[in-house]
Amino acid sequence: MSRINLIRRQSNLTKKSYYHSTSISLKPKISVAIVGSGPSACYTAKYLSSTLKQQSKKGLLTGTNIDDLERVDIDIMEKLPIPFGLVRMGVAPDHPEVKNVENDFAQLFAPSDSEKEENIESSIEFFGNVGVGTDVSVEELRSLYDVVVLAYGCESDRKLGIPGEDLEGVYSAREFVSWYNGHPDYVHMGEKFQKVLHDPRNSSVVVVGQGNVALDCARILAKGRDGLNDTDIAKHALEVIGDGVKTTTVLGRRGHVQGAFTIKELRELTKLGDTDFIVEMSELEAGNTEATQAELDGKGARPKIRIDKLLRDAAEKSGSASSKKEKQVKLRFLLNPTEFLAKNSDHTRLGQVRCERTKLEGEPGHQRAVGTGGFEDITADMALVSIGYKGVPLPGMDESNFDFKRGVVKNTHGKVHGVENTFVSGWLKRGPSGIIGTNIVDAKDTVSSIIKDLQNVPEDEIEGRYGLQTLLAKKKVQYVDWDGFLKIDKEEKSKTRLRTDSQPREKFTNIDDMLKCL
Amino acid sequence: MQAIRTKIRPVAAKFRLNPVRHHGGPKISADAPTVQFTFVNPHPSQGKSAADEKLTVTARIGETLLQTAHRHDVDLEGACEGVCACSTCHLIFDEDVFDELEEASEDEEDMLDMAFALTATSRLGCQVKVTEEMEGMEVRLPAATRNFYVDGHIPQPH
Repeated sequence: MSRINLIRRQSNLTKKSYYHSTSISLKPKISVAIVGSGPSACYTAKYLSSTLKQQSKKGLLTGTNIDDLERVDIDIMEKLPIPFGLVRMGVAPDHPEVKNVENDFAQLFAPSDSEKEENIESSIEFFGNVGVGTDVSVEELRSLYDVVVLAYGCESDRKLGIPGEDLEGVYSAREFVSWYNGHPDYVHMGEKFQKVLHDPRNSSVVVVGQGNVALDCARILAKGRDGLNDTDIAKHALEVIGDGVKTTTVLGRRGHVQGAFTIKELRELTKLGDTDFIVEMSELEAGNTEATQAELDGKGARPKIRIDKLLRDAAEKSGSASSKKEKQVKLRFLLNPTEFLAKNSDHTRLGQVRCERTKLEGEPGHQRAVGTGGFEDITADMALVSIGYKGVPLPGMDESNFDFKRGVVKNTHGKVHGVENTFVSGWLKRGPSGIIGTNIVDAKDTVSSIIKDLQNVPEDEIEGRYGLQTLLAKKKVQYVDWDGFLKIDKEEKSKTRLRTDSQPREKFTNIDDMLKCL
Repeated sequence: MQAIRTKIRPVAAKFRLNPVRHHGGPKISADAPTVQFTFVNPHPSQGKSAADEKLTVTARIGETLLQTAHRHDVDLEGACEGVCACSTCHLIFDEDVFDELEEASEDEEDMLDMAFALTATSRLGCQVKVTEEMEGMEVRLPAATRNFYVDGHIPQPH
């Protein structure tokens, strides 16, 4: 123990302790590594830091006396040189207000406010351009840090597993979203999208899935350049989408009351100026089973009731619409894709999506889509599969701590099964659902597990941040710290890069270009 | 009631990453008329033991409740910075106060649909402005603890 720590520790002995009965000595400094830098990582860092500060002041922490704790270092590892995960790479470019949360997250990394009196010091540092599992292993992190939190989200997706899924023109929504948001790993997809959408105004796209990602894809495809020019959508995406796609059909196997989308995203589709939003009343009625009516009646049904009304209004309007706009977004229900069919002219490329019509069976809240034997083929130059993201394990994980079927880390309230001092939060913990705010409750859940477990942190001195810096230097990994990111951020906003005055930024889509800003 | 030391967050010095394009809430000066009311459960992250904690604050008439909360270090999130694009500033009112509030806009209702632990008297703190009539009221922050999971609450799907 260093001399300073020893002195600090001695001075602690004179502090008045209200919890003689539960005095468990903690080491004076705890080092935490968080893998990933999206909302779940940032909220975990935020609440770990703030809860420890508040608890230490008020002595509310149950079962543990943390008088000894003086400093918490939280290091956030991110594979890309830039932080914030899906806020940057997932949130749609035409939802800039949702990205305001970046300002809140940025406070975490800003120099601490010296005016504040805190019993516990806390510093949060950004380590960008550091791949965990490639540049450093999770075992190395465990040897350097007291606590490791996995918050790297979902880097894969669920597949339909039907014939034709490998045809040219069938892609995952995750690939499409990452591409239009300028993710460096997905720039190469542009060539493929360009090929199948070479004439957007005469093209049809099918989006399979009924969540907000599916609606985002449809909206972006419909809006085109005019609707997106002032956003931070990557330039390469505007070049491909052009003036927008003529017909986009979003479909799923269950009914409109069972959809995973939320009303804000649905309402946006009703307000696209040059695009008709088409809903079939017959499909809404077909899904209106007794069980569905019960779902609309139950506790917490308010969001469903309002979605039901919005879609019925939209269906009535699309039934009576006399004007026909140039583009359309169709929202279809009770259709289960069974096969992707090739074009007659080119058997390597997608031409149609074959769907079986379904009906709902089962109890309220557990209705399943059952095939009816009736089929419909829907023309499609491109299909985006949007039926859920999936987490992938880090090297070294196995069935004991990773649920391969669901793509999540096995955990209890965020504590990873069978691995000491390792935690998980966000999509990797609960699966790919929820909005940014869902991560608040989720992170608090993981943070309370971490705090309850702090007493199990071994007393040994560990190297923490300094150790990581040394290791990265030894491995010749050029990491990007917070100031480095700010330089990249500044360049992205430079007037010379922007197409319009109100565009917030033109993202770098290449890691080398980002590193050149340093 | 437990006395709670309040720290004033240095709003002016707040570090910003993105330009202020949508400003959340009006600027109400410090010498505006004020009322006093009470936040119940001002620090939800401290779990059940703190759920009945109360914090009485002085609020400026005309500002949003989110602004009041932030000036008094109440742990009310405002992820979208008060522009009605998230539901993290969810507050629960008493029925008699709720009935007197200006009606929620369609946008606010849409965001409320995504709020945790929605009640019949829920509103978003960024959309409700402080009025004279709020003198003496109590307004509650929803519990945000692991109990959501224990109770089998399933987060709204994305």
